[in-house]
Amino acid sequence: MTLSARLAVLLAALSGLAAPSAAEGPRFVEETAAAGPDTAFEGDWEYMVGGGAASFDCSGDGFADLFLSGGAAPSGLYRNVSARGGPLRFQRVASGLEVTGVTGAYPLDVDGDGLQDLILLRVGENLAMRGLGDCRFQRANEAWGFDGGDAWSTALAATWERGAGWPTIAIGNYVDRREEAFPWGSCTDNWLHRPAAGGTGFAPPLPLTPSHCALSMLFTDWNRSGQPALRVSNDREYYKGGQEQLWHMPPDGPPRLYTAEEGWKPLRIWGMGIASADLTGDGYPEYYLTSMADNKLQTLSPPPGDGPVAPSYADVAWPKGLTAHRPHTGGDYRPSTAWHAQFEDVDNDGLLDLYVAKGNVDRMPDFALEDPDNLLMQQPDGTFVEASVAAGVASTALSRGAVIADFNLDGRLDLVVVNRRAPARIWRNVTSTAGNWLLFDLHQPGPNADAIGAWLEVRCGGTVLRREITVGGGHASGQAGWRHVGIGAEPTAEVRVIWPDGTAGDWHEVAANGFYRLARGAAPVAWQPPR
Amino acid sequence: MIRMSRRRMALGLACCLAVPAMPVWAVASPAPEVMSTWYRLVLELVRHTPTHSPPVASRAFAYLGITAFEAVAGGSARLVSLAGQVNGLTPLPGRDPAARYDEAVVLQAALAAAARDFFANTGPTGQRALDAVERQLSAAVAAGLPADVLARSVAHGRAVAAHVVAWSESDGGARIVNMGFPLDHAPPDGPAVWVPTSAVRQQQAPLLPRWGANRTFAMPDGGACPLPPPPAYSEEPGSPFHAEATEVYEVSRALTAEQRAIARFWSDDPMLSPTPPGHWIAIARALLLAENADAERWVDVMARLGIAQADAFIGCWNAKFQYDLLRPVTYIRRVIDKGWEPLLITPPFPEYPSGHSTQSGASAEVLTALFGADFAFEDTTHVADGLPGRHFPSFWAAAEEAGISRLYGGIHFRAAIARGLDQGRCIGAHANALRTWR
Repeated sequence: MTLSARLAVLLAALSGLAAPSAAEGPRFVEETAAAGPDTAFEGDWEYMVGGGAASFDCSGDGFADLFLSGGAAPSGLYRNVSARGGPLRFQRVASGLEVTGVTGAYPLDVDGDGLQDLILLRVGENLAMRGLGDCRFQRANEAWGFDGGDAWSTALAATWERGAGWPTIAIGNYVDRREEAFPWGSCTDNWLHRPAAGGTGFAPPLPLTPSHCALSMLFTDWNRSGQPALRVSNDREYYKGGQEQLWHMPPDGPPRLYTAEEGWKPLRIWGMGIASADLTGDGYPEYYLTSMADNKLQTLSPPPGDGPVAPSYADVAWPKGLTAHRPHTGGDYRPSTAWHAQFEDVDNDGLLDLYVAKGNVDRMPDFALEDPDNLLMQQPDGTFVEASVAAGVASTALSRGAVIADFNLDGRLDLVVVNRRAPARIWRNVTSTAGNWLLFDLHQPGPNADAIGAWLEVRCGGTVLRREITVGGGHASGQAGWRHVGIGAEPTAEVRVIWPDGTAGDWHEVAANGFYRLARGAAPVAWQPPR
Repeated sequence: MIRMSRRRMALGLACCLAVPAMPVWAVASPAPEVMSTWYRLVLELVRHTPTHSPPVASRAFAYLGITAFEAVAGGSARLVSLAGQVNGLTPLPGRDPAARYDEAVVLQAALAAAARDFFANTGPTGQRALDAVERQLSAAVAAGLPADVLARSVAHGRAVAAHVVAWSESDGGARIVNMGFPLDHAPPDGPAVWVPTSAVRQQQAPLLPRWGANRTFAMPDGGACPLPPPPAYSEEPGSPFHAEATEVYEVSRALTAEQRAIARFWSDDPMLSPTPPGHWIAIARALLLAENADAERWVDVMARLGIAQADAFIGCWNAKFQYDLLRPVTYIRRVIDKGWEPLLITPPFPEYPSGHSTQSGASAEVLTALFGADFAFEDTTHVADGLPGRHFPSFWAAAEEAGISRLYGGIHFRAAIARGLDQGRCIGAHANALRTWR
């Protein structure tokens, strides 16, 4: 099926989804000053990349708390004290996470105890921080056999390989920071931390050779085989002989790269971030790759049919309106520098939108110095239109990582952006015309309690909206907790989960504008915020 | 003598600590080591500074080579200045004949200043590398020198660089906007004209359309080595133009492993390699290291080669925008096979003549004059990128392979290659006509 035909199918499908009034468009109000967090991503050359955030519930109240990496300065954990639907408010807590050298962070329940742990990427030794509850954390490198190494770590992805009782974590590393005069070509090994033989704790990490200075990684089931592969987006500034990568992850053998013979095409970009979502409605993810002066939206080409799917992608960023290659406002004509990217439905119309964080690396005159972030709203025809100025989020700070989460549990997704050499900025989503929504929290018994690798499906208005449950991607930023789906004006929807082992759960009807715990083998359970 | 030995030791130490890949035999004397290290760095900066498309890179190599040449020539009894020979270069700042200068310090100061100017747009890593190389080499060449000699030599080297930089400002190529892609390009109409071939939004206008009007170095102007027009555009089977396109198409469908390797080897993509002119600079650098060349030889080779390359890009661009011809991918998809994909990424500017061919021809002409007509060599420019070295019996054999690589890669027709090489030969002859030795 051609791309245009696929778009037509999508259009036809989406036409059944009742749309809310979209006269106003998305609106955000900045609450940085009052919200509380003041962590900036500090540091010089070794912190020109990174700058991640993490959102997850460490306090157990259902509200997403916030971690901000500080670079050369101490990082900060902030407890979410917002009231439902109210202004965003956070309080710094003494958590054990006040360490320096942090470039990014990803939450993950490593040990399956029901508490989110946090993996800290660092310039130096990476840290596995075990969640103790009540937003307190404790170093667990030794207890879990996690070798933090000594590198410039800049990317992470995690998965549970088939049958494993412990996660597999891929860490992406950047250049050899000790190479001062000639660092080019000195990309250090990425690492794959697989479970130890006994099933608990990590084995010594495997080098993911060749490594090409990764700035984003994502375990993703690109071909819906049930076996996620590892996508790695690499920075061509520093590799020699490198390219973008896709790794086979056979559970019983070492990773191996997809090859040209299998359909993988060489692509060499300043890879900085990965966002994934099924935009075409065919059940397969598209991948947005951020870079400099150009960004890519990859869709399978040829489109998947009845036979095996080849890892061959076409760039459709331009026809989709997603190149975001230069500032969309202001007087700076120079090309953009893009970092974190994330697909979310910020106006709850049932269409995924795209946020892209922008910011100059460090006074690079070939690139825009006033580089506004993007908020690209998906239209019913599948194209995207810039809306960040009207929405109030066109920041020209040196943006890096970000998280988009519903911090005040009003069903509208809020935004936190980490900035280099300036405090993070926080916006509350106040879109008055937002549609209906659903928020889900997935649970299954056993070690992979949060069902990483599952597919969440919501059926309404004659279409199916899908979310792949992943840990990784973006730019040094991760999140755990509620999974958001906008459903337009639909009063109800059906939901099911395709669990990580491939088992499809039953469809269950749920009412719009509610929170639901989705446990394996059980009907959805409604949940109410405590405040 | 003792002082020189200590300085050599210091340079060797700096070399081995800072640039571990540098062969030990490169540390023959301070000035050649300064040349070798700076050229190693600028080959990286070309690759990692987006402004430096191939034409811009060639300009930087020309001015850097001239800066080095004049820094050395000012203290040499054997070299003669290029002032008054290359267009617009006035006499360089003189030295105090009664005072002592250190030649390595003069050269180091001149190159450090020139590199900072001609690679000013490089990013934070490039700036950090510039700092490191300047710091390490400056300390090495200064070891054991009297303070007054050191200060005088540094000042003179900087003055030479400042003179060259000031001269460069008026050549038409000093200010690059949007990496060389115009914001307001109005394409002409017609089936034969170049149209964008890339899905990259920035590249919807051709690269540097006015580059052909820049001030040249050794040749009189950008039109001094003109070309006959390309075969007349036609979509008629059997016409010369259709035949040229058919050749590109047929070759692409039956590429041998060797042809693929040749296309990849000479691809020299901006931001993924030192660019085509940097490829030839890398060849020259390796040869100079291998022959343990002295400073005078280094600067003569690098100045002439840089001048020839810069003039080649001006002459080539002058012709490209005179003829404004479409690329094979446009024609073949329109007329022969709408699904055709060339092996290489098609560059974002008109086809005729081939830039790599013109500048390779100019480079070969200059290097043949400097090293000999049958000078065999191994080209290891891309070994770090995983491409094995290639052996050539002569510089012209390498240039001809560089030219035909563009046909294998599906980005040029044969006429652009053959006539590009001819144009390069003409342009290189102007550089060879410069007098550098007394």
